[in-house]
Amino acid sequence: MSWIMHHSRSEEYASQAEAALRNGDRERAVELYRMAAEEEALALSALDPKKTRTLSVTAVSAASLWFKAGEFRQVERIACQWLATDDLLDFAISQLQTILQTAWNEQLFRQSGIEFVKGEVLVSVGGGEIVTGAAPLELVHRKINEVRSIFHRTIEMLLNRPFRKRGLPNADVQEQFRTWLLQAAPGSYQFAVRVQKPAQMSLFPDITPEIEEVTQKFLEIVGAASRETHEELENVVPDPEYRRGFLRITRNLAPTGKTFNRLEIRSATDLEARPIVFLPESRQDINKTLREERKATEESTRLKEEQITGILRALHLDKDWIEVHPDDGEKSIRILQTGDVIDDIVGPMVNQRVIVDVAVRPDGAHLYRDIQSEE
Amino acid sequence: MTIPLLPLNDMANRHVGLTRALAESYLEAARVSLARHHEPPQEFILRNGSTEQAALVVWEPPDNRCRGAWANKDDATRDGAYACAIAATELSLGLSTVRRAETLTGADYYVAPINQIPEDLEDCFRLEVSGTNLNEYEVQRRLRIKVKQAHEGKSNLPALAVVVGFRVKLVAMQAIEESL
Repeated sequence: MSWIMHHSRSEEYASQAEAALRNGDRERAVELYRMAAEEEALALSALDPKKTRTLSVTAVSAASLWFKAGEFRQVERIACQWLATDDLLDFAISQLQTILQTAWNEQLFRQSGIEFVKGEVLVSVGGGEIVTGAAPLELVHRKINEVRSIFHRTIEMLLNRPFRKRGLPNADVQEQFRTWLLQAAPGSYQFAVRVQKPAQMSLFPDITPEIEEVTQKFLEIVGAASRETHEELENVVPDPEYRRGFLRITRNLAPTGKTFNRLEIRSATDLEARPIVFLPESRQDINKTLREERKATEESTRLKEEQITGILRALHLDKDWIEVHPDDGEKSIRILQTGDVIDDIVGPMVNQRVIVDVAVRPDGAHLYRDIQSEE
Repeated sequence: MTIPLLPLNDMANRHVGLTRALAESYLEAARVSLARHHEPPQEFILRNGSTEQAALVVWEPPDNRCRGAWANKDDATRDGAYACAIAATELSLGLSTVRRAETLTGADYYVAPINQIPEDLEDCFRLEVSGTNLNEYEVQRRLRIKVKQAHEGKSNLPALAVVVGFRVKLVAMQAIEESL
């Protein structure tokens, strides 16, 4: 039989599998995907190797179908077989490598009994001091914390929890939605993050369907926060407190251009999804939005505004102050009225370089307006 | 002059790459996404480069059950965009969906001139579809990004990028080929 006959059968089974999934019949869907994969593998073997595009598309399709059927050994077999040839086009090589890496990860998780919610986020940093596959530890550590913080905030928002200003997320969020760091395919410097599915789903009966969408929601929020205008963010995050919080955390993700000059976030599983890109300009855009919002809500705009750059030396948020040692001064400056500061944003900034916006009262007291990490 | 109808109905009869169940599912998603912003009928613009064509979009308003089934806005926008994009390329470019091939997270569709069933995928255009409920700027921005990414990355070309703007009643499309 020819490629077209096998491929047509494969298409038919795959379409039926998709319909079965929509109807919630996962078992039938897996069976149909397996049948589709078998037909696609036959289509591949019936193909003239000179038809490189058809061959490339079919190889990706066959590996994807085995993956959807949960047959990871078959994914390995077919991907490695075709990656070893010189017959594939570049797009297919890249897609097969991703499918293979994803299958390996899934295989390991299945063996260990760990289940994740849908999707995986890939974060990569580039430019400046970053080289292929290596980056300063403190920078990577900070970015991992910021990404985890956005995930926790996303989950809290989905759980309809009030916006948290002090302390860490509640124990149930930390314990039930553990974030995992995964090895990613080599790139500029990149890491992958996934969220573990709660072991006790019954603890969250009101948002069971939304739990699966945590990663997608994370990508929507970060994507909307990265845009020049924030119309979309208002739709994705209707609560103004959460919206301001997300803007502040995502601003810290963006580079200033000193250590690195580009941060990209994308779905590791949706190959067609466009990446969310943060450049130094992104930070300025978010700053502008936050400044405008602040001006609209503050009465004290008549006070002189200043910016202090230096090291965050101390903080006591319950007593409403932080202390910054400025680059150009001998003594640290105590900044008051830090009511707006959010613990999990400012906590990791201690002993790091920061930029603090302040208003200066006529008696010389510095009043807090905003804080961001310098890199 | 009569405005042609965007051929959203009975797509499985004309597009061999779509099964009946899938075509109906995409149509349902389109009805929900259209009804989010408009009452039927509505005039949409199909834009291909500097060429524009008007098309009348007629749909049956979704009932509560249908809305409930498509409560996930992202799924409805994505699948509804497939229905509108496939119908727009049929009307505007004379292309029909001939094949489907799986990817890790979904499937790609391949289009070819109507009445031609190619024996392979060598010359077919891969359909790259996106849907949005935002403004015209967002529709054009997505199209530009898709074209840029296709040229920068390791893309499966030739492709046809189609962005459906449900709120602004615009379907923007552009062919992306290796030689560009």
